[in-house]
This record gives sequence, structure tokens and C-alpha cells, in this order.
Amino acid sequence: MKHAKLKKRATAWVVHLLLGLWLVFSLLPPVMLLAASLNSTALFRSPLDLLLLRDFTLDNFTQAFTRGDFWFFFTNSLIISGAAVAITLVVCVPLAYGLTKISGRARAAVSYGVLAMRFIPYVVLALPMFLIFVNLGLSGSRTGLLLAHLSIHIPFATWMLVGFFDTVPGELEEAGIVDGCTPWNLFWDVTLPVVRSGIIALAILVFIISWNEYLFALFLAGSDAQPLTVGITRFLGGAEAGAEYGVIAAYAVLVIAPVILFALTANRFIVSGMTAGAVKG
Amino acid sequence: MAQRRDRFTRGWWFILPGLTLMVAVVGTPLALGFSYSLQDVFLYAFDRKTFVGLENYRRVFDDPLYMNALRITGIFTLGCLVLSVGFGILIAFLLNARQVKFRPFWVAMFLIPFVMTPIVGGIAWKFFIWQQETGVINTILAFFGGPKPYWLLDRETALLAATISNSWHLIPLAVLVFYAALTTIPDELHEAGRVDGAGPFQALWYIILPILRPHILFVSIIIITSAFREFDMIWALTGGGPGRSTTVLSIFAYNRGIANQDMGMANTIAFTMFVIMAVTAWIYITLYRKTGKAEA
Repeated sequence: MKHAKLKKRATAWVVHLLLGLWLVFSLLPPVMLLAASLNSTALFRSPLDLLLLRDFTLDNFTQAFTRGDFWFFFTNSLIISGAAVAITLVVCVPLAYGLTKISGRARAAVSYGVLAMRFIPYVVLALPMFLIFVNLGLSGSRTGLLLAHLSIHIPFATWMLVGFFDTVPGELEEAGIVDGCTPWNLFWDVTLPVVRSGIIALAILVFIISWNEYLFALFLAGSDAQPLTVGITRFLGGAEAGAEYGVIAAYAVLVIAPVILFALTANRFIVSGMTAGAVKG
Repeated sequence: MAQRRDRFTRGWWFILPGLTLMVAVVGTPLALGFSYSLQDVFLYAFDRKTFVGLENYRRVFDDPLYMNALRITGIFTLGCLVLSVGFGILIAFLLNARQVKFRPFWVAMFLIPFVMTPIVGGIAWKFFIWQQETGVINTILAFFGGPKPYWLLDRETALLAATISNSWHLIPLAVLVFYAALTTIPDELHEAGRVDGAGPFQALWYIILPILRPHILFVSIIIITSAFREFDMIWALTGGGPGRSTTVLSIFAYNRGIANQDMGMANTIAFTMFVIMAVTAWIYITLYRKTGKAEA
């Protein structure tokens, strides 16, 4: 009996040890960035020196804020990501809802079309957009970049939302119809409240995807609409001569701070969004 | 019946605005991209484009550099797939063990590589993990008296390093999907396995894996789609080098189109990527419908 108990405790230790090792692997890149950003000489210091904050300073952050147009890039990132969330929700929530209301064959056609769009490599859209935007006078504008982001978000959001709307029992709307609801009431007052947490999850994921997006920005942002992801590579290019790793690390920490904050506070929503669609609804 | 038809038409009023915008932002570039792939188009001179038919496609398939990019993309995608599904199942299995404490904590921490901006993730890996002199990996290797490889600066190891870095970003997705699936397996099934004398690895093989099959399909398709088009992580790590050892198709198309200004060829390269993914999507949808039917 004692032997079995001992074995059980040993298993628990091994499981936690392995999870701990995975934790170290997962967090090593962001933790090293943070450590480097808090040291005055990050270049060619051993990782241990950096982690122990041997040359602790906050000066890197002051420099990251004041040099390299941080707020210009930040504003672009925030506006594009915020607008992407707003438009995606306004357009895709009705779209997905409508899809659950139309007949089988039309629904299947649109649904598989939407699903197929999710497979399109970004570079396939980014290259022609470059030429289209030059023709439309949208190159190097936030509007252009926003449209490019929407080409990723709309198929993604629609597919995810259909999964959420499918979980709403049909009886709910039947009851609403009996009560004399208008189609708009059925959508806004009856069904929407049921899928609220799904919509929150979607909004967070869309924001994160837009915030992290780099390829479209590199192709289309010109010099006026560059978001933080382009900002950091430009900063890198300018600073590499002086190899100010600490300042680069501080800049990087500022770029990832919002998404990490989301992961820490809203991970329940993010996980529900990531796993949505895993099994057929 | 009239009411029924009315309900169907009202669905379309919700659909049309979104569908229109979707066709505009996805359909237009797709169609124009295909038409550019049939022409000689150059950046900053595209009023002088000429129709060349399938000539660009012939040139692409005769180009050893394209074949090289295709091969590298294939290895990279396959590597990410194997690492993600393998470690995904392993970590999810550990996370689901009955002894585990503070599960929400582990979930929140394991999620971080997935949400972390890939271009920044690439910078972190490049400067602080793979770095030859003082990177974490070589510091550990040197501690045990091992060699200090150049990783990202060596043609032999750069692709491996890029694959591992990108898998670091993708594995959380696999872990969380598999973990969510495992939590739905009723305890009785584990109990039954235990009564039958199944060890944890037999349980994994005979009980868990068959249940996870549709989730493995789902994770695989997301990983394949994501790794196949990956640009950011590799761009940050190596920019496609050294030489062309990490030039995947996305980077190859970018170099042709924006750096070399040959938009016709770039769109041709991109469109071959689209066809490869369209076939993949078709296979996935077929399998997806089949598993759906099997479950129904």
C-alpha cells in the first residue's frame, strides 16, 4: 500500500517536472527579451548575467519610447487593429447568423467557399493588392492595410461564428416568432446574447492577429501606415550598426506587451476561439 | 410554407453585405493575381504589361530556384507538422494527467508563444537563443563541453533552427485543441483501461489516439496551412538565407515581386502556392465530411 502511494507521488513529480521543462521552453524567448531589455549592456553577455539583471537599468525603455518613432507605429497598429475588429464584427456576425438561416445547399456552397478562403496563402493576396492599391491611390494608407487585414479576418471570423451560432437551439427562435419578434429582434435580442462569449473570443483573436500581422504591412504600408511590427524591423536595421540589443529588446517587449496581457487575462476566451471548429458542430 | 420561404430570404439580408465585402477583398486580388500571372508585369511600369499566356508557369517550373523553394517549403511544413502534432499530444496528455495541479496556470503559460508576435518571436530566437556566442542553446552546449554551432548562419542547420522556432509558435494550438478534446473523455474510459491493466502509454495508443483522430485532422490542416505560408518568423530569423537554404515560397515570391520588381513571375509563384493549398483544402473538406458522417 505504501509502495503504491510512493509511486503515485513519484508520477506526480515527473509530470510536473516535464510540464515545468515545457514551461521553460515556451517562455524562454519572451523572458530573454525582458531580461535583455532590463540590462544596460545586452550585447555578448551570457544569458545568466542577463537573467540575474547584473546591469539593471530602465534606460532602454526610455530610449525605445523616445527614439524610433514608437508612438507613430503604435498609433498605426492601434487604429488598424481596432478598426479591423469593429468592421469584422459588424460584417461577419450578421453574415454567419444569416448562413445558419438559409437552406442547406446554398449554405453549404457559401460555407465551403468561406472555408476554402482560409487556405489562401497571404502572399497570394498581398502581391496583387500592391498593384491594386497603387491604382486606387490606397498604397501606403491605413485604409489599404485595413482592407488587406479584412481579407484574412472575414473568412476566419465567419467560419468561427457559424460554429457558435450552430450551438443555439432552434427552439429559442421558434419561441421568439410565436411572441411576434421581428427578424431583427430575433437576431439582436434572442440569438446574439447566447453567443456573446463567442463574439468576445473572436474580437480578441482578430485584434491579436491584426496586431501581430507583418507580411501585409511589409508589402503595403508604404511609409505612412507602418505598424509596430514594421517599426521594430526598421529600428533593428537602423540600430544594428551600434548593436544596441537592449533598446531593441525593450522595443520588442513593448510590441508584445498588449498581446501577452491578453493571453494572461483573457486566455479562457482565446482558448475557446482556438479550439472552436475542432469538432464538427 | 410562405413563412418558411420568408425566413430563408431574410437570411440573405444578413449575408449580402458581408459576402459582398468578402468577394471584394478576397475575390478581386485573387482574380487579378491570376491575370498578372499570365502577363509580363513589372513594378512601377505596369502600364506596359503584355499577355504571355502560360509562359510564366513554364519558366517557373524550369527554374531550379523555384524547385529549391518548393522543396524547402515542403521540409519546413512537414517538420512543423510532425513536431506540432507530436509534442501537442504529449503535452496535452501530461496536462490531462490526474495528478496535475494549477491547470489554468499551465494553460495560460503554454498559450504565450502562440499569441506572441511572430516577427518579435523570430527576433528573440535569433538574438538570444540561436546566437552563436552567447545564445541560450550554445551556452548550455558549451557548459557540457559541446560544440558551438552557428545555427542560423550555417546552411546545414538554418532550416532546422527555423523549423524549431516556428514550431515553438504553433505547438500551443495543438496542445490546447488536444487538451480540450482529452477533457471530454469520460473518466470511466480511463478507469476501464486501468482495470484492463493498460499502462499510460497503452492507454495513449489504444484509447486516446483513436478518440483524437478528428482533432489530429483539424490540427494538421491548420498547421499545414500556417507553416506553408509562413513568412514572418523565417524573415526575422534568416531573411531566407544563408544562401537560399531557408528561402520558402513566400519569401521567394516576395524577392521576385518586390525586390526584383518582376510582378508577373511573383504572382505566378504565388498562384502555384494557391493551387497547392486549394488541393489541400479539397482533401481536407473531403475527409472532414467523411468524419462528420461517421460521427453522425
